[in-house]
Amino acid sequence: MPKPVIEVEKLAKSFGDNAVLKDITEQVNPGQVIVVIGPSGGGKSTFLRCLNLLETPTSGKVAFEGHDLTTMDTKSVNSLREKMGMVFQGFNLFPNMTVLENIKLAPMKVKHADDASATKQAHELLQRVGLDDHADAFPDSLSGGQAQRVAIARALAMNPEVMLFDEPTSALDPEMVGEVLNVMQELAKDGMTMVVVTHEMGFAKSVGDRIWFMADGYIQENSTPEKFFANPETDRAKDFLSKILM
Amino acid sequence: MKKKIGLLLAMLAALVMMVGVFGNPTQVQAADNSLAKIQKKGVLVMGTSPDYPPYEFQATVKGKSAVVGMDVKIGEKVAKDLGVKLKIKSMSFDSLLVALQTGKIDMIISGMNPTPARRKNVDFTHTYYKGGYEIVINKTDKGKYKNKDSFSGGTLGAQTGTTQYNAAKKQTKNTKVKGMTSQSDLILALQSHKLDGVAMEKPSAEAYVSNNKQLAAIPSDFSMSSSATSSAIAFRKGSTSLVNKVNKTVDQIKKENLVKKEYLPAAGKYLKTNTVNTSMGHYWKAFLTGIEYTLIITVCSVFFGFIIGVLLALARLAKGNFLKSLLRWIATAYVEFIRGTPMMVQVMFVYFGLGLFVNLPALTSGIIAISLNSGAYVAEYIRGGINSVDIGQTEAARSLGMSNGETMRFVVLPQALKNIWPSLGNEFITLIKDSSIVSIIGVTELIYQSNIVRSDTYRGVAPIVVIMVLYFVLTFTASRILNYFERKMQHA
Ligand SMILES: Nc1ncnc2c1ncn2[C@@H]1O[C@H](COP(=O)(O)OP(=O)(O)OP(=O)(O)O)[C@@H](O)[C@H]1O
Ligand SMILES: [Mg+2]
Repeated sequence: MPKPVIEVEKLAKSFGDNAVLKDITEQVNPGQVIVVIGPSGGGKSTFLRCLNLLETPTSGKVAFEGHDLTTMDTKSVNSLREKMGMVFQGFNLFPNMTVLENIKLAPMKVKHADDASATKQAHELLQRVGLDDHADAFPDSLSGGQAQRVAIARALAMNPEVMLFDEPTSALDPEMVGEVLNVMQELAKDGMTMVVVTHEMGFAKSVGDRIWFMADGYIQENSTPEKFFANPETDRAKDFLSKILM
Repeated sequence: MKKKIGLLLAMLAALVMMVGVFGNPTQVQAADNSLAKIQKKGVLVMGTSPDYPPYEFQATVKGKSAVVGMDVKIGEKVAKDLGVKLKIKSMSFDSLLVALQTGKIDMIISGMNPTPARRKNVDFTHTYYKGGYEIVINKTDKGKYKNKDSFSGGTLGAQTGTTQYNAAKKQTKNTKVKGMTSQSDLILALQSHKLDGVAMEKPSAEAYVSNNKQLAAIPSDFSMSSSATSSAIAFRKGSTSLVNKVNKTVDQIKKENLVKKEYLPAAGKYLKTNTVNTSMGHYWKAFLTGIEYTLIITVCSVFFGFIIGVLLALARLAKGNFLKSLLRWIATAYVEFIRGTPMMVQVMFVYFGLGLFVNLPALTSGIIAISLNSGAYVAEYIRGGINSVDIGQTEAARSLGMSNGETMRFVVLPQALKNIWPSLGNEFITLIKDSSIVSIIGVTELIYQSNIVRSDTYRGVAPIVVIMVLYFVLTFTASRILNYFERKMQHA
C-alpha cells in the first residue's frame, strides 16, 4: 500500500448543537479519485472544507502527507493549502480581475513567481481547459461552464497534489455540465488525486475509484462504484439511490 | 469690549486645567523667568481676533493680507521695547485664553477687558485704552432714538456674550435683545430692519458709521465699571516680571496719548483704503487663499482619513485571541466616540489639548482632527464594504494558499472599495464642506477668509454669495471627477 495523501481520523464537526460530522476515519491514496455522494445536508461540503481547514474540525485529526493540519500554526496551514486546490459550486472567480489575472494572482503573490513565468503557465492551463482565447475576458462575460473551467485552471496554477471539488457542476445549465466533467476526467487520467462531491452518478461510475456514501454525519459506505451502484449495503444508501435513479 | 465666555471655552479651560495636572504645561513652571524667556526666545507671539476694527482687522497691505489696527501698533511697541520680534497669530476670540494658557501664544492684545473673572486665569497689564459704547442705527431713524432707553418695544442687537450684550439685556426695559456672533451680521440685520439698533464699542461704531453713509451712531448711556470699558494686555498667570516690564510701555503709551494721536488714525487709514474698493473681485487673492487651504485640508484629511479608516475597519473585524478582541473593542469605542461628539469640539481638543504636549500649528491640528474624524466614518463604510464581499471570495483565496492578510489586500479590499466608492466620494465632498470648521482655530480656509472680507468691506452678503458659489464649484467639480473614476472602475 502506498502512503496515503490524506488521512482523516475520528473527525467530528459541530456548528453549535448541530453535529454535522460525527466520526469519520478514512484515507485517500495518491492518484485516487474519491467521489463523495449523499443526501443534501448530510455534511459533504463541511467534510470537504475540513480537509483544507476552511472549516476547523471540532475534534479528530486531518493529516496531509503525514502532517496533522489541526495542530499546525496558521502559516504552515496556509502553505499546505497550496497543495490542495479547491473548486466551488459557485466558481468564486475574482470578478474584478481578468481570467488571466485570476489565474496568475496566487502564483505571483504566494509563490512570488515572476510575471512572465506566471503568464506563461496561465496560458498553458487555459489551453488545457480550452479557454485560452478568453484570457483577457472578465468573469461576468463567461458562461457557467467556462467560469468553472477557469476556476479549475486557477486551482491548478498552484500545482496542487490533491484537488477538492464541491459540486462543481450543480450550478450549471445541463448543456454545460459535460465540458466541466470532461476537464475533470482528463485530470483524473493524468493521475491527479481528487475528492469530488457530486450528484453526477455517471461521472461517479466512470471516473471514481471509490464511492464514499455520506449521510447523517458518517461515511456509511466506502466501496467501489461497481459494487455501490449494483449492491448497496445499507438501507440508507438503497433509499438514496432509489430516489436519484428514478 | 469683547467678553465672550462661551460654554466651549469654559469646557476647554477646565480640560486644560485637568490635563495640566498630569502634563507639563509651560504655564505652571513659568514661575518668574517669564521676561528672560521671551528675551531669550527673541520672539513675542501675540494672539488676536482680527474681526474687530479699528482694534484689529485684516487689510491688504502692499498687495498682501495682513492684520492691522491699533492693537497691532501696541503689540509692535511692546515687542520693540522688549527688544524682540513680534509675531501675530490670528484666531477666534473664544480661543484666545486657552491659546495663552496652552502656550500657543505669549500674550493677548485683542480689545480684551480685564474683568475680575479673567484676572483669575491670566495676568493683565495696566489698561491701555478706555472706550465706551454707542448704538448704531439707520440714518433714517435719526431723531427717533436718543439712547438705550429709546428702544422700548423695539429690538436691539449686540455681539453674543460681550459686555454690551449683557448691558443691553440688563439695562433696558421692554426691549428685545438679539445676539449674533459677528458684528457684520448685526449691521446687516440692522440695515434689513430686523434690528432697530446695534450696541457696540465706540471705535467700532465710528468705523462703521464713517464707512457706511446709511448709518448713524448715538450714545448708549450704559452705566459701566471702568474694567468693562477698558482694554489691557493679557499674559500667562505668574508672569510678573514680564508684566512689570510691559507696564512701562503701557504707561508711556498712555502718557503720550499714543492711541488717540497715532494708533487710531493709522488704523483708520487702512479702513479708508479698505473701503475704496469693496468689490469682491478686489479680494480674489483672499478667496484664492481660502480655496487653497480648503483643498489642502480636504485632500490631506481624505488621504489620512482613508488610511485610518482602513486600519480601524480591519481592527473592528479582528476575531480571535484576547489581543485581537481588545483591538476590536478599542476600534469600536473610538468609532462610536468620534461619531458621538461634534467635529468642532474635536478640532479644538486637538489644537489646544494636544497643544499641551506638542506644539502643533493650527493647520496641522486641523488636518489631524479632521483626519481622525473622517477615519471613523470611513471605517464604517469600509467595514460595510468588506462585509458586502461574498465570503466565497475569501474562501477561494484561502484555498489557493493566500494568508488572511494577502486575501484582504489582494482580493477583498479591492472589491470592497469598488463597492463603496460612491460613499467614499460622498465623504470627500462632505469634507470639502466640513473642513470649514477649522476656521475657529484660525486656519485661513474659505469661511475664515470670507469672514475677513466681510469685516473688511462691511458688506455682509456679497462674500457669503461668493463662497457659496466657490464651495459649489469645488464640490461639483469633485463629484464630476469622482463620477468619472466610478465609471472607469465599473468597466474593470
Ligand atoms: N457555517 C455554518 N454554520 C452553521 N451551520 C452550518 C454551516 N455550514 C453548514 N452548516 C450546517 O451543516 C449541515 C451540513 O451542511 P453541508 O453544507 O455540509 O451539507 P451538504 O451535504 O454539503 O449539503 P448540500 O448537498 O445541500 O450541499 C447543514 O445542516 C447546514 O445547515
Ligand atoms: Mg454542499
